[in-house]
Amino acid sequence: MNYSIEAENLNLWYGDFQALIDVNVKIPHGQITSLIGPSGCGKSTLLRCFNRVNERYGNVTTEGKIEVLGKNIYDTDVSLPELRKAVGMVFQRPNPLPISVYENILFGLRIHSPMRSITKADADAIVEEALKSVFLWTDLKDKLKARATSLQLEQQQKLCIARLLPLKPKIILMDEPCSALDAKGTRAVEELMEILAGTYTFVIVTHNMAQARRVSKECIFMFLGELIEHRETQSLFTDPQHEKTSDYVHMRYG
Amino acid sequence: MNAMMTCALRKQKLVSQRSTFIILGIVGIPIWNVLQETSAADTEAASAAMPLNMLSPLLDDLYTLLSISFVAILFGIAWAFYLEEWLPQTHWVRRFIESVVAILGGIPSIFYGILATGVFFSDAGTLKTIGVVRGPQDTGDMSALEPLSFQQETPVFYILVLTFILMVMPLTIKTAQAALRSVATPIREAAYALGASHWQVLKKQVIPIALTRILATGCRAMSSALATVALIFGIYTWQYTNGPGEMSNRFVLFLGSALFLSIFSSVLIKLDASASADPTHPTR
Ligand SMILES: Nc1ncnc2c1ncn2[C@@H]1O[C@H](COP(=O)(O)OP(=O)(O)OP(=O)(O)O)[C@@H](O)[C@H]1O
Ligand SMILES: [Mg+2]
Repeated sequence: MNYSIEAENLNLWYGDFQALIDVNVKIPHGQITSLIGPSGCGKSTLLRCFNRVNERYGNVTTEGKIEVLGKNIYDTDVSLPELRKAVGMVFQRPNPLPISVYENILFGLRIHSPMRSITKADADAIVEEALKSVFLWTDLKDKLKARATSLQLEQQQKLCIARLLPLKPKIILMDEPCSALDAKGTRAVEELMEILAGTYTFVIVTHNMAQARRVSKECIFMFLGELIEHRETQSLFTDPQHEKTSDYVHMRYG
Repeated sequence: MNAMMTCALRKQKLVSQRSTFIILGIVGIPIWNVLQETSAADTEAASAAMPLNMLSPLLDDLYTLLSISFVAILFGIAWAFYLEEWLPQTHWVRRFIESVVAILGGIPSIFYGILATGVFFSDAGTLKTIGVVRGPQDTGDMSALEPLSFQQETPVFYILVLTFILMVMPLTIKTAQAALRSVATPIREAAYALGASHWQVLKKQVIPIALTRILATGCRAMSSALATVALIFGIYTWQYTNGPGEMSNRFVLFLGSALFLSIFSSVLIKLDASASADPTHPTR
């Protein structure tokens, strides 16, 4: 088995509060893995460890080892921009930058390349390709100059996925990517993930268990900072091994 | 519905433009009058050994005050960036400066006016004005009129600078920090997650978004400083010269500039608000 992310004995504290306790996890390559658990159990925290954006939240201490694509991301020679290029992230509320659709897609690339090194023709091609891969091209090809924040929410969220693609990421992390969308938008984003799953490794946090069952191959259940169970999704739901998992999947927590 | 909205927006823009012109007119006319008056006075006074150009010292004063506040504002903005973008919320330097700013910012600006007045006009009976401009007071000798300028390195000049800094910096720091904070966290998160460095996030997102507001901040601070200075001039003019004279021209000119700057900053804020108006992302 080929793993994209391997975490070993991962502990994390916000100040004195331990938010992750001895987490060991291996996330397989090229498929969708979902993270479920009650509110405040550390799902977002774990997800944010994988591209090290956690460190921006102030008083954070991390212990343990996380290998992303075979490299320990806490090594001193790891470059954060390179890590974040390889590990993209999509947020709960669509957060396109308040610039044009066109520039949103090029934003990442412009950050990672020297000034004026992208020609207009290249840029056009990149934008077209990115929008085509998320099926927004026909809708947006006449609106490339429009402000990205003026799009519909579903389009915004797809754009947030599209803007990762020019950086050629290997892994895409998503923190409740559909919770701001309606049923139709949710379905559209799920379909998109299923189509992209072969090319990219997805880790998604979700509160929607139906969604976890629909899209993910493997599922991780967390509880109060601990990883309780990590199995193939269907069997985790039909035949949970732990009492806490079974309580959760049968909705016995608030 | 969309068409209606754009229409309403355009209308609103027109209205705000029109009111801007009206207000500019209201401010502009007195200023124009002052200019006229002074040039009339010039010709009249040419025989009375008055400096030929009285307007130029006035403008020089204005220029000097604006330069001082400009520097104070630049420092204020730099501090705001340092506090908001580099220091964690709990850092003692940040806490210290923020509480000093809160205390200084809570003092009404007229207090600084009185403070400055007390220092500058301590020589009772003589209108020393800002200490450097020797006015026409009792003698009516206008030849002593000198502009306030950087060349005159009197202690009083530095006290004036200090007053301005005390008055302008807290306001600038506070409002510029608010402008930086108004750049929504999701925008920063998005940029960081795409691999941007702190500098890139500032350069490509935060500064472009916050710039208009920061400019507005600067104009507002300058305006409040000028208004205070104008008041000092006003009060002392009436007290010592029994009527409108050179000093009240100064009063009108400063107050006019203050009003102009204040209106300009409101217009900036309004433009900024309508540019970032966005139903799906309400600004915080
Ligand atoms: N920046 C922070 N500073 C301090 N504590 C934090 C911070 N972020 C999260 N926490 C705490 O860490 C714990 C885990 O938070 P996390 O956001 O990872 O939970 P979650 O599983 O994503 O919850 P939700 O489902 O509500 O999004 C919570 O108890 C939370 O209060
Ligand atoms: Mg969360």
